[in-house]
Amino acid sequence: MNSELAPRAKVALYGLICLLLIPFVFPTWWMVTSSLKPISDIFVFPPQLFPSHPDWSSYRQVFSIQPFAQQYWNSAWIAAVVTAGTLAIASMAGYAFARIRFPGADALFVVVLTGLLIPSEVTIVPLFRLFLMAGAINTHWPLVLIPMFGPPCVFATFVMRQFFVTLPRELEEAARVDGLGRFEIFRTIALPLARPALASVAIFTFLNSWNLYLEPIVFLSTPAKFTLPQALTQYTDAYGGPMWNIQLAAATLTALPVLIVFVLAQKQFVEGLAHSGLKG
Amino acid sequence: MASSNESMPEAPTGAARPFWTIARRDALAGWLFAAPQLAGTLVFVWLPLAMVFWFSLHEWNVLANTFNFTGLRNYQQLAADPSLPGVLLASALFSVGLVLFNLSLALLLAVLLNQRLAGTALFRTLFFSPVVVSLVAWTIVWGFLLQQDGGINGTLRLLGIEGPNWLRAPGTAMLSVIVVQVFKNVGLNMVLFLAALQGVPRELYEAARIDGASRLKQFRRITLPLISPTILLTSIITVVGSLQVFAQIAVLTQGGPGLSTTVLVYYLYQQSFQFHRFGYGSTLAIVLFAIVALLTLAQWRLRRMFVFHEQ
Amino acid sequence: MAAVQLSQVKKHFGAVQVIHGVELNIQDGEFVALVGPSGCGKSTLLRMIAGLETVTQGRIAIGARDVTDLDPKERDIAMVFQNYALYPHMTVAANMGFSLEHRGRPRPEIAERVRWAADILGLAQLLERYPRQLSGGQRQRVAMGRAIVRDPQVFLFDEPLSNLDAKLRIVMRGEIKALHQRLRTTTVYVTHDQVEAMTMADRIVVLNAGRIEQVGSPLELFDRPANQFVAGFIGSPAMNFIRGRCTPEGFAAGGIVLRAPEAAAHAGREAVCGIRPEHFERCGEGSGAPARVEVVEPLGSQTQLLLRLGDTPVVALFHERMAALPGDAMHLRPKAGAVHLFDASSGLRLDDVQAA
Repeated sequence: MNSELAPRAKVALYGLICLLLIPFVFPTWWMVTSSLKPISDIFVFPPQLFPSHPDWSSYRQVFSIQPFAQQYWNSAWIAAVVTAGTLAIASMAGYAFARIRFPGADALFVVVLTGLLIPSEVTIVPLFRLFLMAGAINTHWPLVLIPMFGPPCVFATFVMRQFFVTLPRELEEAARVDGLGRFEIFRTIALPLARPALASVAIFTFLNSWNLYLEPIVFLSTPAKFTLPQALTQYTDAYGGPMWNIQLAAATLTALPVLIVFVLAQKQFVEGLAHSGLKG
Repeated sequence: MASSNESMPEAPTGAARPFWTIARRDALAGWLFAAPQLAGTLVFVWLPLAMVFWFSLHEWNVLANTFNFTGLRNYQQLAADPSLPGVLLASALFSVGLVLFNLSLALLLAVLLNQRLAGTALFRTLFFSPVVVSLVAWTIVWGFLLQQDGGINGTLRLLGIEGPNWLRAPGTAMLSVIVVQVFKNVGLNMVLFLAALQGVPRELYEAARIDGASRLKQFRRITLPLISPTILLTSIITVVGSLQVFAQIAVLTQGGPGLSTTVLVYYLYQQSFQFHRFGYGSTLAIVLFAIVALLTLAQWRLRRMFVFHEQ
Repeated sequence: MAAVQLSQVKKHFGAVQVIHGVELNIQDGEFVALVGPSGCGKSTLLRMIAGLETVTQGRIAIGARDVTDLDPKERDIAMVFQNYALYPHMTVAANMGFSLEHRGRPRPEIAERVRWAADILGLAQLLERYPRQLSGGQRQRVAMGRAIVRDPQVFLFDEPLSNLDAKLRIVMRGEIKALHQRLRTTTVYVTHDQVEAMTMADRIVVLNAGRIEQVGSPLELFDRPANQFVAGFIGSPAMNFIRGRCTPEGFAAGGIVLRAPEAAAHAGREAVCGIRPEHFERCGEGSGAPARVEVVEPLGSQTQLLLRLGDTPVVALFHERMAALPGDAMHLRPKAGAVHLFDASSGLRLDDVQAA
């Protein structure tokens, strides 16, 4: 915001930032290190920053108590399918709203957008009923279809539309003169150029699906069908209390892949969001 | 003027044009492109919404398999529900607390990171990291840390302070949930604010410095107005989001202690899926929807007052 | 190669009419420039010929075919855009071959045509580069290459040189003109720069507020502008305009009389006298009008003076080096035959109007 700062101010600034970082970084750190501690060490006082010796037994129990591998796979493939489907639907709809003139386009866009305002908790009961009638309770269908067509996809459409609005019209006109029809223009010109927007939509759609909690606990009752967020809360002992070390191990396994991808691709994550057109 | 070459083919002005003109074909393409999204929204958003209205007019118990039309009785029950004022109050406290905390923290972080210090990119990543961590995982870890003898109280004890049972004491339970949620998501708003801050032309600040304005004044008179569209947008998103917070409450406090963290969404879930009163749950859903709609409308209207538009 | 005909073409955007009944015949192989100020409708007209804008009323024909309701791809035209419109994610070769590839032409044919176009435009070394690696002039050439590869019936240029710097513009002007002489394809060229139009076109169409003001060869427009608008638009520096009255002795304005035998025929009429800056000459007190120098602009081999002639500010351009200073007094008169007279109210050339 401003020009050069005095060295003292810089130090103060760094100090403040590091202080503020603690609640953001410490929980993740604690999660990973605690998962490697034997349960007796977790609540020990004074609290240990590092495990005295890494204990992998919690991780073994994660897999033995629940079909965790299966649950992992559930979350993964559902998220993948939802992401692919959302990209297709949102890019097409976003392109249409941004570039094609058709009657009712503006009104329809507003109508579609207001879908963002409706919390999933509001519609969960009727959706339950609908899927019940279709005999799809305790299947993965609701977890795939609802995000793929519902509010999460609406957000994706919004982002894609914002992007396509910035595409120079002349590129499409040149393609029209070159002889391309509307769909071909979309496929060969608009889509390839939309990679940054598609990337950020993919990231957020994947994360959103990975983190869905309400829908799984409403629709799924068989442990083998659970998804990760749901599974994480199932590691309870006979009294219903959470088995902390195992839960933390499972949580680490859930969070780690995403974190690794994030660290590797952090630029795309953050830049994609910043430039997603949300600036208003 | 040069003479014309071949004569024009006979076509009186206003001759019948083919039905599928370029414009019409394109419009059809537009409809087809948008159709999946439109159909999806219809089936998965608007239809359920209509159904919720319908359900709220019924007494529907899945276990007893009863589904009776009761008209506005659910709404009457709503008005007389002794828990409801507490639920609404909890929701209000939660949303207000969350939004204020979230937005000011996001702005603070964005301003700090905009000072162009070395390592800003790393810091940005670190502040953003909770956003990508699994929600339930994050909540579980915090739940763990907030235990009576968990990490936070352990650290406080090192300083000689005896910390409360964060999740079980009425006042601190709400606070804890707010804090957990804010730290999870504030990175998102921070990134948006940062982008907006970087969009403010530096020359404006330089001109203000020459005019003698202090840093604070620059912030108030230049920065805030110019990023006001972003502030509005993030506040709408954050407010709407705050009304949908469910998993954290379910995992951390289960609405307790008592009803102190039972926000509207959680109450809805309890009524529908724990007490199996789907009709009443639908009524609550309508209330939730109305609140969201009103709040968003109010914020949108306020934009005329507070948001600076270049055009 | 084909002729282009516009027949009573009108265009409305909603309730606003932007093109008012344009009638134009472009010959096969001709290079026609559409010029005019911003907003005059020249780009709109070009885009209607291309098929990128619909025609509200009227017909457009290319060759013998009525193309009014046809898609751009069915009109056999190629267009060069102001911002080049190169596909950023494709190489130069792919950009140029794109339309042929889309039409399903065999690979060897495409490669050969791309090479041919690249050779003409000096792009042979750049075929594997991406647009972002090229300079402005190179991009413009690629845009032209993309057009000529198609070998269409008509080339349409939409202010292609506006984004280039002045020196490059001059170079590209020559290249476009050379290209036209080589390929002889009918070309419609839109520009707001009348110098471009003058140097490149066979004929120029001057547009103003959706209407054609005049159509003619560059020299026709220069020597005999049909109205005050065209007279002021064509020629640089712009023509001077002096309001006054025609008298038997010449043109009277603000206390001075200018030598203008043409004025006698319209004596008594209120008129506007147009004299190009390069058409003034110095003379003695007898035959000239008094003028006072206000600003001297030495241009090396030329001198441009801003003077006050009577009470009208005028610009005079002399093809010599002059030792003049602000405040100097001199006498000026228009060269013989260099006076243009326009009706004061309609702006039309007085020769074409009935003599008073």
